[in-house]
Amino acid sequence: MNYGRELLKGNTDSLLLSMISRQPTYGYQIVKELGKRSNGYFQFKEGTLYPALHRLERENLIIGKWQILPNGQQRRYYYITEKGQQVLVRRLATWQDFSAAVKAVLQAETTT
Amino acid sequence: MASSISHYLNRFKACLKIDQTIKDDVVQELHTHLEDKIQELEESGLSKEEASKIAVQSVGSPELIAQQIYETHAQGSWKEALFSALPHFLVALLFTSYYWQNVVYLSIILALIVGIAIYGWHRGKPIWLFPWLGYYLMPVVVAGILLLSLPQGWGWIAALMYIPLALFVFIHIMRQTARRDWLYASLMLAPVLVTLTWFSSLGTGNELLANDWIARLQTNALWIVISFIALAGATIAFIRVRPRRYKIISLLIPPLVILFSVATASRGNIAPWGWLILLFSLFAFATPVWLQARAYQ
Repeated sequence: MNYGRELLKGNTDSLLLSMISRQPTYGYQIVKELGKRSNGYFQFKEGTLYPALHRLERENLIIGKWQILPNGQQRRYYYITEKGQQVLVRRLATWQDFSAAVKAVLQAETTT
Repeated sequence: MASSISHYLNRFKACLKIDQTIKDDVVQELHTHLEDKIQELEESGLSKEEASKIAVQSVGSPELIAQQIYETHAQGSWKEALFSALPHFLVALLFTSYYWQNVVYLSIILALIVGIAIYGWHRGKPIWLFPWLGYYLMPVVVAGILLLSLPQGWGWIAALMYIPLALFVFIHIMRQTARRDWLYASLMLAPVLVTLTWFSSLGTGNELLANDWIARLQTNALWIVISFIALAGATIAFIRVRPRRYKIISLLIPPLVILFSVATASRGNIAPWGWLILLFSLFAFATPVWLQARAYQ
């Protein structure tokens, strides 16, 4: 399997929590923002986002609420919960430690 | 445009076997996503047909998304799993002593089962409901069979009058359950299978019930307890595992344990009536699982 895809799969929850923690958002906007912020690096089938969102909701990390827009269209906005915030903070810390450790090892590898 | 979206959503809905309220939410969410995508593509200069084709492709396989959503929602909590297994434990408890012969204990448990089944039925049919519903159906089935034991042909007359009513109740509940998920129909029928299989071992010759059926039942109490505990274990596994194929496998455990228990306890000595009841209950239980297993392949 593609290494980049595996990395994305392992970090999907953190990425989604991070996006939703900035502001309440909905599926399509998340896809667009992810593409924009990563300069198109994250490529995936858009529908696969929804199982991940529903999983996070079942774990009470986010909560989905239907909102009716002025044009009558309905959208499901996701909000981060307190538990979700705590999980995100822990994951960010773990990620930063991991990233720093990998970087240190790889840099040492290239300088030797 | 509308037809390609509705075709896509219909494929998605056909594969998604989850609670109807959650299903409606997911379908609506995916619908909105497709509309947003199409609108954006149209604004970039594409025709409606091209935009809808690209939008559907970018969302991905409806079958795959449905499977992933199913696995997200298919796993019940430990609380739900234990509550689903509770009626099996209660029946097992009845057979650990002579409680099953006590009208008060039997009535309390029956009232509890009926009450909880009706409550669950009217509260959106949660996953824990179906084993309770199986016991709820039991008096309907057992009463019909017992009518056959009335003397001198009266049994057949009573049974023929009763069967349409019983079938109506049975089919109505089966249809409602299968509409949600065929596997839940098997989960619901599992206690009926266990009870009828044990019932089948109580006859002799052409008699549905032998004279010593109470003594036989008490002699086999340990095996009966084992059967219902196996059923409870299988129910917990069914609720807790996510992939559909593992749910199917967990449903195959009870018939194997029960057939082994009945064969051991009765030493293979089952009356012709018993065989008929046994085959009928096995057929009713296994059909939904078999249909699902075929669909899965």
